[in-house]
Amino acid sequence: MTASVMPAALSRQPVLGVLKKKYFATRLDAAVTVLFAAFIAWIVWSLVNWGVLDAVFGPNQGDVCREDLEGGACWSVVSTRWRIVLFGLYPFEEQWRSGIACIAMVVVAILSCIPWFWSARRLPVLWVVGFATFYVLMRGGFLGLAEVTEQNWGGLSLTIFIFAAVSLLGMPLAIIFALLRRSKLPWIARTMALVIDTIRSLPLLTIMFTFAIVMPFVLPDWAIGDKLYRVIVGYALFFACYQAEIIRGGMQALPNGQEEAAKALGLGYWHRIGYIILPQAFRNALPPTINQFVITFKETSLVTIIGFFDVMASGRAASGTAEWNFAVVEMYVFVALIFYVFVFSLSRYGAYLERRLGVGRR
Amino acid sequence: MSAPAIRIASMNKYYGHFHALKGIDLEVARGEKIVICGPSGSGKSTLIRCINRLEEHQSGVIEVNGIELNDNVDNIEEIRREAGMVFQNFNLFPHMTVLENCTLAPILARKIGRAEAEKTAMEYLTRVKIPEQAHKYPGELSGGQQQRVAIARALCMAPEIMLFDEPTSALDPEMISEVLDVMVGLAKDGMTMVCVTHEMGFARQVADRVIFMADGEIVEQGPPEEFFVNPKSDRTKTFLSQILA
Repeated sequence: MTASVMPAALSRQPVLGVLKKKYFATRLDAAVTVLFAAFIAWIVWSLVNWGVLDAVFGPNQGDVCREDLEGGACWSVVSTRWRIVLFGLYPFEEQWRSGIACIAMVVVAILSCIPWFWSARRLPVLWVVGFATFYVLMRGGFLGLAEVTEQNWGGLSLTIFIFAAVSLLGMPLAIIFALLRRSKLPWIARTMALVIDTIRSLPLLTIMFTFAIVMPFVLPDWAIGDKLYRVIVGYALFFACYQAEIIRGGMQALPNGQEEAAKALGLGYWHRIGYIILPQAFRNALPPTINQFVITFKETSLVTIIGFFDVMASGRAASGTAEWNFAVVEMYVFVALIFYVFVFSLSRYGAYLERRLGVGRR
Repeated sequence: MSAPAIRIASMNKYYGHFHALKGIDLEVARGEKIVICGPSGSGKSTLIRCINRLEEHQSGVIEVNGIELNDNVDNIEEIRREAGMVFQNFNLFPHMTVLENCTLAPILARKIGRAEAEKTAMEYLTRVKIPEQAHKYPGELSGGQQQRVAIARALCMAPEIMLFDEPTSALDPEMISEVLDVMVGLAKDGMTMVCVTHEMGFARQVADRVIFMADGEIVEQGPPEEFFVNPKSDRTKTFLSQILA
């Protein structure tokens, strides 16, 4: 191919021209392109074969799966036992409650992403209503609803509840930590720094164990509460320490002049923090904040270890019976898909926020 | 109304061991316009920033409108509401529109209703000749426009005193006059003004008194005609020959 031919070819057949130029410029390019195209096609074909063409979809077809010589995926395990993944040990007849509670929580989360709800009055009301709905439905014990204790909550509902509770408890705590850490009084700032550094130095697992198992020996009876809530408090504390440093980073990126201008206008401390410092700090810290939420959502799986049936553990349980133990991969794919939907939405929402808040404008 | 707008008596300011302001005595009468000049590092910005407690003084007295500046937060905030400040780098709030910049403090610190605050803000924005920019963000304006917004924002608090800390130093040359024009207008309306600036033309035109500072001290002060024509100290002469050359 000569340079003089290119422009004409490009203008007549733009797609082909570009393809040619980018992927088939030399013989080596062409060889590499063909090789990788074949490799990708092979992977896609194998996946489609496994996941769709040779797969068994209908419920209660474990026998068909086992006799299936084609080796396709057995989605039957999902269509048969999805309720365990979503609701864990929650009593079967009552699972509609868990489902509605779960949907309520997701709706509240989605609503609170809409700018109209971002006011000091609407957001707290929304979340109090959301949590109350969730708790009342899950726990029951009145109006003829059977009581289901926290020990029997599980699956996706539990994961979402833990994530929402940790975020909601952790975020205000993080702001308070960040402000204390910035305090002008050295002993407050240093104590806070020590607390943050200490908690950050401990593995999340250790903190969860401590709050779940050690705390009852230390706390007075009235303060013990259910294990679930202790774990949430511990996790929120852990979240807050990381998020506090993220917020502090956002604050430090602000020029001194911002706070000085606010002072010079006669604004008091809380007005300066609430209207000038924090809004700008959060804009600066948006990418790491979204990151923190993603990590927090994924690490909810750790509660498995202290005996809770989150979505991950439930998935393992669902494919852990003698009848279904050959379909572990399919179950993990399903659980991974659930995580993917949540985390990917979170990431896209973060990207939308960044555009909307004009992070790039500054 | 007998108290002077600002009274500073034997005031000292230290940064650690560095003696930044040495025994400053200064009274500013109501309606008086003061221009403070001096070489960089002479303490002129520090002095003006002590008046509204952006910097803390270690000894001596500062009174604004008869209110003493001490550790009492209520006093500090009262004084800050009475003394508007304009900064070298504008320091507009980038996440708020021009109008929000101008109405925030009146609404929060003066407890004025939003509608009234917006009306006042539009009046001042008209006065600094940029009412049409009210709904833009600061980042969309030129330096000169931003500084005029900053002046309007300070005026919206209806202050009795205006402090200017090198308001034209960060501006491109062609934008300096649009800001100075606004300041001259303000002076003509009788505002009490303390300006740290190197704009000697402005000093000649509006100042009642020019103060020359060096090494944390007030070296010389006087009405502009006397100060520029017949400076007494050698340091003043050197300084004037440098900046007027």
